[in-house]
Amino acid sequence: MDAGLQVDQVSRRYGQVVALQDLSFQVAPGELFGFVGSNGAGKTTTMRIVMGVLAADVGEVRWNGGRVTLESRRRFGYMPEERGLYPKMRVLEELVYLAELHGLTSAAARAAAAGWLERLGLSDRGNDEVQKLSRGNQQRVQLAAALLYDPELLILDEPFAGLDPVAVDVMSDVLRERAKVGIPVVFSSHQLDIVERLCDHVGIIQSGRMVASGTVDELRRGGPRRYWIEAPMAVDGWAQAVSGLAVVRRDGSRTLLELADGTDDQAVLHAALATGPVHEFRRDIPPLSELFRHVVSEKAQA
Amino acid sequence: MRSGIATVFLIARRDFITRVRTRLFLIGTILILVAIAGYVAFQVLVLSKQGKVSAYKVAYVGGAQSLADPLAAAVKSLGFSIERKPVRDQAQGETQVLSGSLDVLMSGSADSPQVLVRDQFSPTLAALLNQIVQQRALDRELAGAGLNPAQVEARVASARVQVHSLKPPVGQEQRLQAVAAGFVAALFLYMALLTYGNFIAQGVVEEKANRIVEILLSTVRPEQLLIGKVVGIGLVGLLQFVVIGIFAFVVTTVTHVFTVPTAAAGIVLAGLLWFVLGYFLYAIMFAAGGSLVSRQEEVQSVVFPITMLAILAWFVAIGVLTPMFDGQPMSNVGIILGMIPFFSPVLLPTGMATGDMAAWQVLLAVVLTLGLTAAATWLAARIYANSVLRLGARVKLREALRGG
Repeated sequence: MDAGLQVDQVSRRYGQVVALQDLSFQVAPGELFGFVGSNGAGKTTTMRIVMGVLAADVGEVRWNGGRVTLESRRRFGYMPEERGLYPKMRVLEELVYLAELHGLTSAAARAAAAGWLERLGLSDRGNDEVQKLSRGNQQRVQLAAALLYDPELLILDEPFAGLDPVAVDVMSDVLRERAKVGIPVVFSSHQLDIVERLCDHVGIIQSGRMVASGTVDELRRGGPRRYWIEAPMAVDGWAQAVSGLAVVRRDGSRTLLELADGTDDQAVLHAALATGPVHEFRRDIPPLSELFRHVVSEKAQA
Repeated sequence: MRSGIATVFLIARRDFITRVRTRLFLIGTILILVAIAGYVAFQVLVLSKQGKVSAYKVAYVGGAQSLADPLAAAVKSLGFSIERKPVRDQAQGETQVLSGSLDVLMSGSADSPQVLVRDQFSPTLAALLNQIVQQRALDRELAGAGLNPAQVEARVASARVQVHSLKPPVGQEQRLQAVAAGFVAALFLYMALLTYGNFIAQGVVEEKANRIVEILLSTVRPEQLLIGKVVGIGLVGLLQFVVIGIFAFVVTTVTHVFTVPTAAAGIVLAGLLWFVLGYFLYAIMFAAGGSLVSRQEEVQSVVFPITMLAILAWFVAIGVLTPMFDGQPMSNVGIILGMIPFFSPVLLPTGMATGDMAAWQVLLAVVLTLGLTAAATWLAARIYANSVLRLGARVKLREALRGG
């Protein structure tokens, strides 16, 4: 049960500003964990604390049950939010250097760097200076830098920001593949459609607190129960016959209903059939983006 | 598990290679070599010209001819020579003096010679001639009094002050060369401190500005990164020092500008020792300073106090070393200043090479410098670790020291 990454009750302040407050989550081996939240919510701070470039005031980060040390972090792959590469170094040399810092021998570092450049379609750019590459290609190099030494955990801050659709696919494939071989992968993104498509688990962070977390399905079904119903013969007010039923809005002949807790959806269906034919009766599962807006605005009001 | 030293080595190697490969390093080194070659060429040309001027063309007529030999013998010890020219008579000599093909025409009797020159007479030659004429007058008087002039002179010559030295100094020439070499070492060290110190501050800010420091610090400790950078850039400086040193040694030896003394090796080693010690002390301060800011434009202002300290050290070196070119030993103030670690690097090479500083004083200076460097490294690592990840506004020193 202790395998993977555990962030346990971590808090961090910057002067008077609370950046993180009792933040906890865990990522099991092979799990893709999507980290979403508004700007300044604390995603980057969390990742920096996991990577040890920032210290937590309180709380602990554990890896496979033990405290994270410099030695274990050397086996973590990290892609910081602000991309960090020496602009004047040649791509291949830079990757070899970073791989060696992570403990690879010179020969292994060369092989790994060449392999990842090939995989990411940059084989012919190995001898160019990093600064001569386009932004998207620099981002690929940055990804290669995080993957070179076969890390046991991946922490990627906004890996999809600024990528074209092809590059998004390449990045998605790589992350899926890494998770498939049993590596916990944590990444943050504002592109909620990608998170929804890619992730097993999602954590929504707001003002330094984890306000919702779980599988994408759990989160989406965790909101209010709403149903679309199309019953053309129904007259206004039929829904009042069933207790705990409210009309959210109408869309032509379709109606969106919200069911209170304890209201039986089958009872609603029977009431609808009593008015005549029913062409559609479907659970409305909101996309993650809607859920995210809902959670964030709710917390902002609280 | 990899050792910390291997990590520091990797970091130092990257900083060394990327800098040595730049055009700036190549062109900079070549420019310094050209400057040295130019200076040596200048020395050779000027010195050889001065050598020609020091041969006087002199002609004698009449009784003055008997002064030719004693004068030639006397000037020899002073490092210039006399070229004797034949003339027919006074008139021809005067013509030649006027035209410049003759410097001096001597006529009249040997006891009271007449000297003819075009504009002015060398005071050195005048003094020599007076001495010779007066000696002849003295000899005549002694002979008149019935004494043997040669015997009297021998007895007079034997009456002289006996000098005993408790601490025999190195030979005067050798000592001057030691002072000169120490001065050059101080100058080079001062320039290297500023140049490479700024490289270090800029290198730290570069990593901070492009955020690679975040990746690096997730796998190496801040002090490893700090020391690796200081060592890597220091080795660039050392390489340049060695290249320039060998070039200067070869050029000056081949052209005989300096007679390299036997103690040269000692001076070079002392210079090298203090290059390493002084460089490390200052470099570590420059690195800590650089970590406080996020943009290259801010580097100069944040390292300003350290730059001032280096400049102050250079003025101290000028103040202490300049009087030593007149043959004076290093002053007590100079020796005390030399034991202050910030000033040791520019004063100690001279103090060691001349022997003006006692062994215990040298040892104390080394120990104090090492001690302060260790303390500065500890402090710098703390400042560095606390500020290197803080982007944006300049980090206040107090906050950096207090931490997080």
